[in-house]
Amino acid sequence: MLQPGSDTVSTDANRKERSSWSAPFRAHAETALQWLMLASLGVFILWPIAAVLKVGLFVDGRPTLELIRSALVDSRGLLGNSVFVGVTATALTLFIAVNVALWATRSGSRLSKPLFGLLLLTMISPPFVTSLSYVMLFGRRGLITYKLLGLTLNPYGWHGVVLMQGIGFTSLAAILLIGVLRGMDGRLEEASRDLGASPTSTIGRVTMPLLIPGLAAVSLITFVESLADFGTPIIIGGRFTVLATQAYLNFIGISNLPVAAAMGILLLVPSLIAFLLYRHFMGRLTFYTKGTGSAGEPMALPRWLLILTGTVTFMFAAFVTLQYLTILFGAFATTWGVDFTPTLKHIQGLPSTAFASISRSIRFALFTAIVGSMLGMIVAYLLERRRFWGRSGLDFIATLPFMIPGPFLGIGYALAFRDAPLALTGTLAIVLLNMIYRQLPVGTKAGAAVLSQADPEVEDAARDLGAAEHQVVKDVVFPQLRPAFLVGFVNTFTASMVTIGAIIFLISPGTKVATIELFGAVRGGHIGVAAVLANIIMLVTLAVNLFFSWLMLRRDATKEGVLSVPATRAIDQVIQRSDGGR
Amino acid sequence: MKRVSLLLSLMLAFSLVLGGCATSEPELAPEPAPTEDTTDEEVLEVDPELVGTTVNVFAAYGGKEEIFDQFEEDTGIRIEFLDMSSGEVLARMQAEAGSPIGDIWFGGGVDSFIAADNEGLLERYVSPFAVNVPEEYKDADGAWTGISLVVVSVVFNTDVAEEKGAAIPETWEDLTKPEYAGELLMPDPSISGTAYTTLSGLLQTFGEDEGWELFSRLDANMPFYAQRGGEPPTAANMGEIMAGIAPGIATGADEGYPVVTVFPKDGTPWWPAPVAIMEGASNLEGAKVFVDWCLTKHGQEVLATHDPRPPVRDDVPMPQVLIDTGFPEADLMTIDFYEIGRIRDDVIDKWQKDFAAKK
Repeated sequence: MLQPGSDTVSTDANRKERSSWSAPFRAHAETALQWLMLASLGVFILWPIAAVLKVGLFVDGRPTLELIRSALVDSRGLLGNSVFVGVTATALTLFIAVNVALWATRSGSRLSKPLFGLLLLTMISPPFVTSLSYVMLFGRRGLITYKLLGLTLNPYGWHGVVLMQGIGFTSLAAILLIGVLRGMDGRLEEASRDLGASPTSTIGRVTMPLLIPGLAAVSLITFVESLADFGTPIIIGGRFTVLATQAYLNFIGISNLPVAAAMGILLLVPSLIAFLLYRHFMGRLTFYTKGTGSAGEPMALPRWLLILTGTVTFMFAAFVTLQYLTILFGAFATTWGVDFTPTLKHIQGLPSTAFASISRSIRFALFTAIVGSMLGMIVAYLLERRRFWGRSGLDFIATLPFMIPGPFLGIGYALAFRDAPLALTGTLAIVLLNMIYRQLPVGTKAGAAVLSQADPEVEDAARDLGAAEHQVVKDVVFPQLRPAFLVGFVNTFTASMVTIGAIIFLISPGTKVATIELFGAVRGGHIGVAAVLANIIMLVTLAVNLFFSWLMLRRDATKEGVLSVPATRAIDQVIQRSDGGR
Repeated sequence: MKRVSLLLSLMLAFSLVLGGCATSEPELAPEPAPTEDTTDEEVLEVDPELVGTTVNVFAAYGGKEEIFDQFEEDTGIRIEFLDMSSGEVLARMQAEAGSPIGDIWFGGGVDSFIAADNEGLLERYVSPFAVNVPEEYKDADGAWTGISLVVVSVVFNTDVAEEKGAAIPETWEDLTKPEYAGELLMPDPSISGTAYTTLSGLLQTFGEDEGWELFSRLDANMPFYAQRGGEPPTAANMGEIMAGIAPGIATGADEGYPVVTVFPKDGTPWWPAPVAIMEGASNLEGAKVFVDWCLTKHGQEVLATHDPRPPVRDDVPMPQVLIDTGFPEADLMTIDFYEIGRIRDDVIDKWQKDFAAKK
C-alpha cells in the first residue's frame, strides 16, 4: 500500500509523513502511550525523588542549604569516606574483572565454562551474605584466620569493606567485560599482529582501548553500587562509617528525616557526577562490535599475561567458592565457630512465617519481572524508534533509578505516597510499584540494546510490504525483543529476589519478604538460620535463572535467524542489573 | 466473685507498695506465685466477629513466632508481623505521619513509645487486665502498657577473657579497667534503646558529673560504637569482642557459645517492654484483644516461656533461666523513664560531641 506522496526510497521525512497521514487514529494512540509512560515515570520515579529533595532542602517551606551544610559538617568526612571506598572498591573490581575476563575469553582453558558458571552463580548475592561469610572466615574467631592460622586479626574497618565490596561486585563486572571481549572484532587484533606488533603491544594498544567503553560502564555501575551499599559497612565497617550507613541510621535510628534526606542528597551528588561524566564521554566512544562476525580464534595471550590473569582468576575463584561454601555449610553447622557437628535443626526450626515470606518473595519477583520487563520493552521501543517531545527526558528519567541509592528511593516512596491522592502506605501496591520502577532500567537497557542493533529498515520493509503498524509491532518488533525480554525478566527477577535497600522502608507485616526475614536473622545473630535463608534465596533464584537461560539458549540453537544473531550478541553486553540488594 | 476480689486485693497491694510513684525500684517476684492465685482463671472473651480477622504487628521480641501462634490458637485472630526495632517503627510512623502502618507495636525501647505518644501516634487503650500491672510499668493514660521487663546485661565471652587473662567483671567500674581495653562493645545510643537506657541510667544513678566521668572511662575501652542493637551480644558470642552490652541475658550460652551473663552490681539498667495500639489501627478491636491477651496470666506465661524475661505480673513465675543467671540478686537501677525521655536530645548531643566525634 503506497502512501500519498511517498516514493520507494525510505527516508525519515516520508516515514514521519506517512505515519501522520495514514493512521491518525494510531498516531493518537501512540501519543497517548508516550504521555502515559512519561506520566507514570514522573509519578513513580520523579515524584518520590522530589519528595526527598523537599524534605532535605526546605525548612518551614523555605529553601535552605542549612540541612545539607549541617550534614556535611556533622558527618565528619562521611562523604570523603564514601567516595574513597567507592573509588578503591571500583579499582579493585576493575583489576580483578579485567584479569578474569581476559583469562575466560583468551586462555582457551576448559575451565572457562565452569568459571562462567561460577560468575553467574555469584552474581546472585543476597544481602549481608558476603559480610557474614567474611566474619565467619576471617573474623577474630574466624575459621581461617583463627582456627587454621591461629591469628587474631581485627577484620573491621575500611579495608574489610573495600575488599568485600571489590570482590562482591567483580562477578557482574567480569560478565559484562566478557561480553564486550566476545563481541569484539577479532580481525582488528589479527591486523595488528599481521603488521608485526607483538602480542603484548597488541593487547596494550588494540584490545585495551577497545575495552574502554566496557570499562567505563563497569566502573560506573560499580562506583554507584558501592556508594549505595550500606549492608557491608554496617556489618564489617566497625568504626568506619559511610554516608549510606549514616543516612540509613538517621532515618531508621534517630528518625531524623530531614538529616537523612540531606545525606541522601549528598550521596546522590557523586553518583550523578559519575553518571554525567559517563554520558559525556561515552557519547564519543563506540563499541566496535557492530555488524561483524567474530573472525577467527581470539588472539592467545602472551605468556606473562596468561600467568598473571590465571593467578588472579584462580585466587578470585577460590575466594568466592570458599565464601559460598561457608554459607552452605553454615546452614548445617550446629553453632558456627563452636560446634561444627552437622545438623538439620536450622532448617527444621524455620518458622512457618519464613516459608510464607519466601513464597511472597517469589511471587513478588515474578510479578515485578513480568510487568517491569514489559514496561521496559515499551520504554525501549519509544526511545529507539520514536521521535517525540520529551524523548530525552524519558530516557534520563528511565535511567535514574539505576544510580539512585536504594534507601533514597525507599524513603522517597514512603514520603511521596503517604497522603492523598495516592495514599499507598502499608499496601502491597507500594512495595510492587517500588520494585518495578526501581528495576525498570534493567528491562529498558536490554530492550534498547537489542533495538539499537537491529536495523529499523526491516520494519520499513514490512511497512512497504503493506503491514499495518500494529502488525509491524506485533510481527517484527516483538519477536526481536523476545530475547531482551528474557534478559530483562531474568535479571529483574534476580534483583528483586535479593532486594532490601528500598523496600525495607515500605514493607508492612503482610508484605514481608525473604530478605527481610534474612535481615532479622542476621540482626539477631542467628547465623545458622541466616545461612539457611540465604541458601534458599540463592537456590530459587538460580533455578529460575537456569530455566530461562536454557529457554534462551534452546531458542538460539533452533532458530538462528537474521534477527536473533545481533540480539544474542547484545545480550552479552547488557546483562546488567541495578544494585539489587545493596 | 473470686476474680473481682483478687483484682481488688492486687490493686490495693500495688497502691500500698508502690504508692503511685513512677520512679520506684521494681518489685520482682523471684518465687512462683502462691498456689491459690493460679487456680483463678481469667476469662478473655473474643467477639466471634473478630475470629479470622488479622492483626498487623510490628515486633521486637524473642520467640515471637511461637507467641503469635499461641495467640491465634487461643483467640482465632490471625497475626501478621514484621520484625523491627522500636527506633525503626518510630521512624516509619513519623515518615508516614497520618497513615497507619499497622495495628500493634509489640516490644522495644520504652523511650520510642513515649516519643510516639508525644506525637499522638498511639491509640490510648486501658486494658481491663492492666490493673495487674504495676503503675511504673505502664502509661497512666493507656498509651502503652508494659508486658515484660528488659534487663540490660553484659554478655561476656570467657574464652576471649581466658586468652587475654582478664577476669569476669562484676561492675561498670570493673569494665573501665585496662584489661578490657578495646574489648567492650556498646551500640550507638542514638540508635539503640539499650544503649541509651544504659547511658542515661548511669547518669541518673551516679549523678550527672560522676556518671559522665564513669562513662568516659568506659568509652576509653570501646573500640567503636556498634550500629545495630543486636550486634554486641552477637559479637561476644562469636568472640569478636570480649564484652557486649545487650538487652536480656546471654542466650548464646544455650547454643554452645562460651558466654556468661553479667548484671553489673553497681546498677543494672532495665525498662518495661511495652505493647501499644497504633493510632488509626484498621483492626482496632482485634488489637485490643491482643493487648488484653498479653496481660492475662496465661498470656504472660506464654511470653515468659518463649522469651525469658521478668514478667510484669507478680502472679506469674520468673523464668527459671533468669533465676539461674542470678537475676534476682541483680541490683536494678532506679530509672525515671519520662525524665530520660525528656533529656534525650541533650544527652545524645553531648554524647555525639564528646564521644562519637572522637572515635
